[in-house]
Amino acid sequence: MTVTSYTERPQRSKADDGADALSVPWSRSRPRRSRVSARMVSAITVLVVLAAWALSARLQLVSPVFLPSPVAVWNKFVVVARDGFVDATLLQHIAASLWRVFAALIAAVFVGVPIGLAIGISIIGRGIFDPLLELLRPIPPLAYLPLIIIWFGIGEPSKILVIAIAMLAPVALSTASGVRGVSQERINAARALGATRTQLVRHVILPSALPSILTGLRIALGAGWSTLVAAELVAATRGLGFMIQSAAQFLVTDVVVMGILVIAAFAFVLEFIIRRIERVLVPWAGRE
Amino acid sequence: MTHLLLDKVSIHYEGQPAPAVERVSIDVAKDDFVVLVGRSGCGKTSLLNVAAGLVEPVRGSATVGGRPITAPGSDRAVVFQNDALFPWLTARENVAFALRLRGVGPSERARRADALLALVKLDGAGDKRIWELSGGMRQRVGLARALAAEPQFLLLDEPLGALDALTRERMQTTLLDLWTASNVGVLMVTHGIEEALVLATRIIVLAPDPGRVVRSFETGFSRRYAAGEAIRSIKADPAFAAARGELTDAIFEGEGA
Repeated sequence: MTVTSYTERPQRSKADDGADALSVPWSRSRPRRSRVSARMVSAITVLVVLAAWALSARLQLVSPVFLPSPVAVWNKFVVVARDGFVDATLLQHIAASLWRVFAALIAAVFVGVPIGLAIGISIIGRGIFDPLLELLRPIPPLAYLPLIIIWFGIGEPSKILVIAIAMLAPVALSTASGVRGVSQERINAARALGATRTQLVRHVILPSALPSILTGLRIALGAGWSTLVAAELVAATRGLGFMIQSAAQFLVTDVVVMGILVIAAFAFVLEFIIRRIERVLVPWAGRE
Repeated sequence: MTHLLLDKVSIHYEGQPAPAVERVSIDVAKDDFVVLVGRSGCGKTSLLNVAAGLVEPVRGSATVGGRPITAPGSDRAVVFQNDALFPWLTARENVAFALRLRGVGPSERARRADALLALVKLDGAGDKRIWELSGGMRQRVGLARALAAEPQFLLLDEPLGALDALTRERMQTTLLDLWTASNVGVLMVTHGIEEALVLATRIIVLAPDPGRVVRSFETGFSRRYAAGEAIRSIKADPAFAAARGELTDAIFEGEGA
């Protein structure tokens, strides 16, 4: 393999710094004496939306079939958590979905990181994988789902495969961009210290690309969640997507809304966990 | 004695109309401290990169101990202006990097790294993260890391260029201490005229378009420091001022300043 261009600077996206990066610059340059914090405003916003939802349900602005009240959704959550829905408890639905997303994530990392490395360090690797990924990336998973079912049947592997494919491009491309962003000086310094090609990859390039790889994982998880529901539409007997879908067929709207909120909650928690992992694993990101 | 030898080296970068460096010869013996100075574009860094094995000359030869230089090697450690340290490692682990590559065990690694950190006056900073260190401290870690590879030659590309004036002055004595203590030959690029005079045993003045040697000075100030004279008293010597004038003239010769 030939080590190719490392000229680009590492792309360290602003979004890595968390929600603060979204605030306007001038609000930070002043000393903090404002009594309003972004967090408070966010909390109020959520409360207002909830209140509007509750109010419109209470006033029967729309039929409960279309929009059940928050209380009805909560009650349904308790009932489904206890008694289950369509032959499985809520916990089993959640476990089925989480397992699929995680299995897919692990598969995507095991395939995507080496592909990203190949794209980043070798001209041949880039020649092979770049066009394939660029072709694959814009295709909505729903479009190739039927084909995968024809090939692999309707079992668990197809569902995980579809999610993994959706995750592959973000993981591989983030890895590649992280690898290309490694500074030439760092590479030269390591070579002058006696690093072989393999050592260079393992001890310098991979750790340097780690912040970017983790960003890729976050993007991949987002893509995974959106593919999950689609994958579970097809002949699943468990999973949050399946639960929502079967509830929708019987117009059990409160379960539909509840399922959506559960997915949102898990996506939120996972994002939070990954940010935590980032802080522990790559504390130097943005501080060099 | 081992020599690092650049013999009539010409460097011509692809796509450039003119060569960057033409027929430059540099000889660094193992107890030399050779400093390259010259205006921008005179090819100082290019020559250093040839010695490091990062740039291939189009003509001429580069050898170390008679063997041709074809790639970077741990017999020639490089320190860059930007320290190029590894932020995922502590200061100690950075210093021990070359040892780890060679498969030296953890306890032996830590012991030798700590000894090197003490040599660059960073005792007790081994557990610090790189981003917790000041620019001067980072450059010290960089030097210790380079020395850990037990090189025969140290190649320094403006290692003090990014430091403030006071830190820089202190680092100059650290460099001289390292040089006397560790028996390495040094090839260094700098912009600082006084820095060159303080550190060098030989100063090579280059001129641009194309890069070529215009003068070569033998200087004795760093040997005086090695013999025990204080750096202040050396700088106060009228001979130092005279040498500075002469060196400045040589650098700006032919520029019509």
